[in-house]
Amino acid sequence: MKNSVTRRSMLASLGGAVASLMSLAAARTAKAAVQKVFVTTSAPKDYDPHAHKWLMCLDVDKCIGCGLCVDACKTENHVPQGPTFFRTWIERYIIKKPKPGSGEARGEVVVDSPNGGRDGFPPTLVPREEILKSFFVPKLCNLCEHSPCVQVCPVGATFDSPDGAVLVDPKYCIGCGFCIQACPYGCRFLNPETKTAEKCTLCYHRITRGLKPACVEICPTEARIFGDLKNPVEHDPIQAFIQKNKVNSLKPHLGTNPRVMYANLDKEVR
Amino acid sequence: MSRVKMPPQIYRIVLLTVAIIISYLIARRLLTPPSFHQYGFFRGEALAEHASHTPVFAGRKACLECHDEIQARLFKGEHKTIGCETCHGPASAHVTDPDSEAKKPDKRNTTACVRCHEANPTRPVTQKQINLKNHYSGQKCVECHVPHQPNEVP
Repeated sequence: MKNSVTRRSMLASLGGAVASLMSLAAARTAKAAVQKVFVTTSAPKDYDPHAHKWLMCLDVDKCIGCGLCVDACKTENHVPQGPTFFRTWIERYIIKKPKPGSGEARGEVVVDSPNGGRDGFPPTLVPREEILKSFFVPKLCNLCEHSPCVQVCPVGATFDSPDGAVLVDPKYCIGCGFCIQACPYGCRFLNPETKTAEKCTLCYHRITRGLKPACVEICPTEARIFGDLKNPVEHDPIQAFIQKNKVNSLKPHLGTNPRVMYANLDKEVR
Repeated sequence: MSRVKMPPQIYRIVLLTVAIIISYLIARRLLTPPSFHQYGFFRGEALAEHASHTPVFAGRKACLECHDEIQARLFKGEHKTIGCETCHGPASAHVTDPDSEAKKPDKRNTTACVRCHEANPTRPVTQKQINLKNHYSGQKCVECHVPHQPNEVP
């Protein structure tokens, strides 16, 4: 009996198929390498993520609540308009005087952030004489050492970049929103246009070009300090900030170990 | 001693398992982007994609390259910590094309001053604040104040 498919021919065709698949992968790697050399992207070429460690620090006492950083962030990063989409925002904390005879050290805490503070803060509804103290707190991604958002992402779209930024790969993100729930600082949102999770990138396109993030550039009172821990400059702003202030981080009990540091942080800030 | 004969179904299961593992390895090889392990357990190209956006704000350094006459005045006064684009708006388009009138950043009006200097009980006491209603209402800020050098009188 003559069989058209012999063992030999079967094995040969199988081997051929495997070899062609392998060569496809090799061709793709080669194509990527060629692309890297010849195709010009506007991304800076000489930037090495391992050579930097970026960090932002915030001084609560210096923030005047002008909200220009929020506006600058939206302009710079083309963040969707609307009062729920913010990569950075400002919260106003008002701690009222305790009721006489209540035996409390401080009264009710009122927190608001009208449109993220983007249009500035209107005078508060709480009369001045009822306020024990009040302050603005700028918020952004806390750049956690152990990021909950990275841990929960089911497709590995969120990652810790070696230079300290926590970034989202929009091509991998499926928009499930787990990271938005996982972030204890509320720093993420789902972009309604791309349907992917979005967050503060530390203005990655700016810091790789040697510029400061837009919010730091715009802040009129130097409430936001930005620097590179691996390449400290003379009179390094970050070193001076840590030396001069008693620094703290947000929600330290969660074990996320945020790298972003705040100076003059009140215990009521969450 | 009789040899224990391996049942044929065991051979098939082992073969099938090996085939599945090999096809998994091939699929992984094909589907993983070349830049995946470049910097860590993520697609390395994503960094370049994030970095490829064009900045909108140029930064104070870029402004002062041409407008250096402002620098000497600005650094004397209390407004020395303020970036140019804080009041004048994003200037990247103007930096790349300085001759175009349309791309020039706007000269700001009273709202730029009030944004930081209107009285608000939450503002730190060190911040100079005014009550708009009883602070020379109807007049422009620049009639009495020099924004680039606030300690001077025009």
